Order: sequence, then C-alpha cells, then structure tokens
Amino acid sequence: MRDKLIFLVLGAVISVLFWIFRVELYEALYSVNGFSDQMYNTGAYGTVAAVTVAMSWGMAAIYYYVINSVKFDRWYHWLAMLGVTAVLTPVVCFIVVSNLLEGFDYGTAVFTFQIYNILFTALTFVIASFSIRWWSSNCRHTPIPQ
Amino acid sequence: MNMIRRVYNMLSIALVMLAMALTAASCGGGGLEKAVKKAFIDGDTTQACYEKICALIKENPKSYAEFVTESGDINVEALGKYINEIGSKLRPPMTWDITGYGLKELTLTIYFERSGSMTPYDTPGGGGQLKKAVNDLINFFPSKEGTKINIVNDNIYPYSGTVDSFLQDRNIYESTKGTGNASYTDFKLIFEKIIQAQKPGNVSVLITDLIYSPQNTADVSVEKILNEENSVATSIFKTYKGKSIIVNQLMGDYNGQYYPYNGAPFSYNGKRPFYVIIVADASTIDRMNADDNFAKFLRPGGLKNSYRFNQAASELNFKVVPDWKDNVGRFRQSRSEQNLLTHCEGDRETGVLCFTIAANLKPLAKDDSFLTNVANYNVQSQSGFDITIRAIKHDDVTNNNRAYLDGMTHLITAKGKFNTSRDELSMTLANQFPEWIKESSSTSDIDPNAAGFSTTTFGLERFLQGIYDAFSAGNDSYGKIIIKLED
Repeated sequence: MRDKLIFLVLGAVISVLFWIFRVELYEALYSVNGFSDQMYNTGAYGTVAAVTVAMSWGMAAIYYYVINSVKFDRWYHWLAMLGVTAVLTPVVCFIVVSNLLEGFDYGTAVFTFQIYNILFTALTFVIASFSIRWWSSNCRHTPIPQ
Repeated sequence: MNMIRRVYNMLSIALVMLAMALTAASCGGGGLEKAVKKAFIDGDTTQACYEKICALIKENPKSYAEFVTESGDINVEALGKYINEIGSKLRPPMTWDITGYGLKELTLTIYFERSGSMTPYDTPGGGGQLKKAVNDLINFFPSKEGTKINIVNDNIYPYSGTVDSFLQDRNIYESTKGTGNASYTDFKLIFEKIIQAQKPGNVSVLITDLIYSPQNTADVSVEKILNEENSVATSIFKTYKGKSIIVNQLMGDYNGQYYPYNGAPFSYNGKRPFYVIIVADASTIDRMNADDNFAKFLRPGGLKNSYRFNQAASELNFKVVPDWKDNVGRFRQSRSEQNLLTHCEGDRETGVLCFTIAANLKPLAKDDSFLTNVANYNVQSQSGFDITIRAIKHDDVTNNNRAYLDGMTHLITAKGKFNTSRDELSMTLANQFPEWIKESSSTSDIDPNAAGFSTTTFGLERFLQGIYDAFSAGNDSYGKIIIKLED
C-alpha cells in the first residue's frame, strides 16, 4: 500500500513540477521569436500545461476506473488510450491557445507548438498511469505487470 | 452498485483535478493586474486606458488602498511603479510613463519685445506672422488660466489689457506705444528677471529679434560687442543649470526702419527672422515634449529652425523587433537582457546579419529630418554594421508586432557581416551646436541688399554660443542605444 502511495505522490509532484517549469520546458523544445513572447505574456504556457496535465490524469483515470475491464487490459489497449490522449489534448490546447492569441497571426507556430506538446502529453499520461493504476480492479497490470 | 460508486468517485477526482489545474492556469493577480497587463499586450498604453485603470481603482478603493491618496486621488507615483513592475515582467519588458497624467497644469508667461527694431514686424501692411505666432503660443498652450503677458524692452512691464484683448489686438505695437524705453533691449536684465520670476510649473516665452542692442555702444567695435554678448549669455545661464531653453526661429514680414549696430538706420521691406524663446525647468520641458497637447505650442506653424539648449541625454526606450520583413540571418533575443541578441548567425550564403530595432525618439523632440539622417549618428561596431532609420508608419503595425512597436516612433535597421563571436553595436545621436545658427548669423547688418540680410540676425551665433557654453558640459549626446551580439 505504501509503495503505491509513493507512486501516486511522486506522480503528483512531477506533474506539479512540470507546471511550475512549463516555460523552460516548452521553450527548450520550441522557441520562436515573437510567438514565444506572446505565449508568455498571455499566460498561454500555464493554460496549456494545466490542460495537458489535467487531461492526461483524467484520461488515465477513465482508462483505469471507468473502462476498467478485462476486455481492455492488454498493453495495446493502454497504448491506444495514450494515443487518443496524445491527439485529443493538443487539439484542445490548439483551440485554447488560438483563442488566447486571437488577432495574432501565429497559426503555423501554434500548430507546430502542439506537435511538440504531444510529447509532453504522452509523458504526463505515462506518469499519471503509473500513479493511479494500482487501485484499478481489472487494469492494474497494464501496461506492465506488477 | 460498488462499481458505479467507484466510477463516480474517480470521475469526481478527475473533475476536481481539472478544476484545480484550470484555476492554477488562470491565476495571476486581480482585476487591476489583468487590466494593466492587457494594456501592455494590446499596445494600448494611452491616457484613455490609464483613465479606465484609475476608474477601476476608484470603484474599489479599499482593495487598492496603496494607489489612493488620503484625499481620494490616485497616487500616480505608486501606480506608475506598480504598472512598470508588471511591464518589466513581460517579454519584451515594457514601460509606461504615466507621470504626466496626474500633474498639475502648467502656466504660461509671455514676454513680448517692444524695441524699435521689433515694431516693423507687425505693421498693418505686413503679413502679421509675428503676432500670429504669439497668438498661436497662447491658443495652443493647453491652459489659458494663469496666462500673463508682459512687454519687454529696457525692462519688463505688465501688459495692461487682458489675454483676449491681446489676441484680438490688430496693432499691438500701437496700443502698447509708450511702454518702457524702446531704444534698447537689456537682455541680461530681461533673462535674469524672467528666470528669477519663474515658479515651478511656469513656462516663459520671449518673443524677440535676438539682436543684442545695449545702451551706449557708440565707437565700440563689432568684435568687442560680439564678445560681450557671448559673455553675457554665458554669465546669465551658467547659474541656472536646471533650466532649459528652446530657441525657435520663424520668419516674418518686416516693413519699417531697421537700426543696424554701427550704421545709419534705413527703411527695409522684406522678410526677417524672429525668435520664440521658451524658458522653463528642464523637467518641465521634458514633460511638455512627452505630452502631445503641447506639440503645437513647442513647434508653432511656420517654424524654420529649432534648438533646445541644456538637453540632457535621454534614456531611450527601444525593443528589438523579432519578426520583421528586413531581418536576415538568425538571432534570438535574450530573456534576461533586453539589449542582448544571442545565437546570432549571418545568412548562410552572404554572411549578412540584419535586424531591426523599434525606438521611441519622441522624448528627443527633434525634427524627423534630423532623426532620420544617419549622418547625425555615431555608429560603432567591430563588424562594421551600417544603420538606416525611418519613422514608423501606420501600415507597419500588425497584431504580431504591435507589442514591439507600441509607444515607439522609429525603426532602426542594422545590417552587417557578423564575423566575430561577440560584438557591440553602439549608436549615439550627437548633440552639437547646430549649423543653422551659424548660417543664420551675421557680423554686419548695415547693408539691406547684402546676401543673407533677410535670413540672418546680427550676432546671433555668439549670443547662442554663449548659452550653449553655459550648458554644454556633459551634454554631448541626445541618447545612445547599445546592442550586444553573441554567436
């Protein structure tokens, strides 16, 4: 029980650290003159990071506790869920950022930025999965057996 | 049943997490901070926006007590500090000078020279440019309250009428006939009295032909009198280092007797220069320069030349425009230093690096022709960068570059082969004694048919050189921009 809790706490801490260091992490991967300044000024990095973390944890929770079925407990089912999350989250973030940067002509940069955000989404989904899977009645062994 | 409860619990957790995440994402201060930030991001750092921010504070004075004085007014200093703290955290760091919004109105005092050589500037048959200029000064000064008018020759005499009667007077020299002694003008006395009478917030304006004509100059050589006026000018102003003087040169019709320094008077009909000399605290002139309401007062219609004495170097506000059509090669603006460009790399084929800076040159209060003349800049760099400079046009501003061009007046484009690992591009706008003063000066005014008689003033250069010398220490440049480059 204690080991499982450590995973949960560790996952939560990593997610919070990701949000705190969002600007540095995102700009390490993708920094463009002008666009990055506006992302920073409008607080879009904070929103994108929050949506990414929340959707990753939410989708992981849906997989482990809503779907939670022996019919979907194979690693490729989990991978499919990761894939859905990795596509859905950047789409949501693209819409959110486009609204925040309304009036600016940064369409291409916003799209490219979301391509990079797929990586962060996948990572946070993995972190969320390993944080909460232990209490799932049917999928706790997915993607890697205990 | 257990299953449903578990699903419900987990969904609740997910929703709570989402709400917390969105709350964290949207946090960032109250309404005031958001309003200020929005003004910066939208490029709306205007007085209208400032008024909205003030209204926000006044709606909820308890929450924003630090920005409200005991009397219920806005604490402009505290608010300005807060606004610029927010601006400094943005990219690029932004500033907003609101000090002018909350200041008390300035007052105007006119000193209208009424010497023998001035009356022909306003005859019924002339164009009336001199009177028009004085009327414009009064009309375009934002506040008429507290405006005073004086007549000047051997001394200073209060004008007996009202401001309105002065404005409507079609023959001002006739109606002021008999005021003082019109046979000479004592500049030393007049300037000293003007400066000594000046209270904080007062702007004094002397309308004069700037011809030095003291008493008892018979048999005194021209060179001696020019040296004397030079010394007089320096001695007047060297003790008032906090003052600034703007000399505006205009042209007017002159119909009447002209009294040369060392010759017989003669009749002259034609153009002659006259001068509008604005005297105020240097900080007051800085404030007027920054306020568009004073634009027509400082630069009246028909202005031919202008120069401000005792103009300290301004700290110029500038931003590198990251995404500009002329950019060539690559660079990245440092997040920590506004004037540092890192990852600089010339174009792969030509090796040329070209970048553009948006600068606010408005505080310098100079003509666009002066500001856009590259010859007026001292440009230094190891790589031999050249610059071009032009005013920002309305069409230049797009949503993407608005944050960089807002509040800026000119675009400076630097171009050169970046062939070192580090470089420093320094651009200095030199403050030199202007050529137009030399060109507008003569050492003899006895011949009305001489070339340049209509455009020159006897002894002008020596008198103004005396003022320049009184203030010149440390004022060798108007401003400097330094850009550091790293590969």
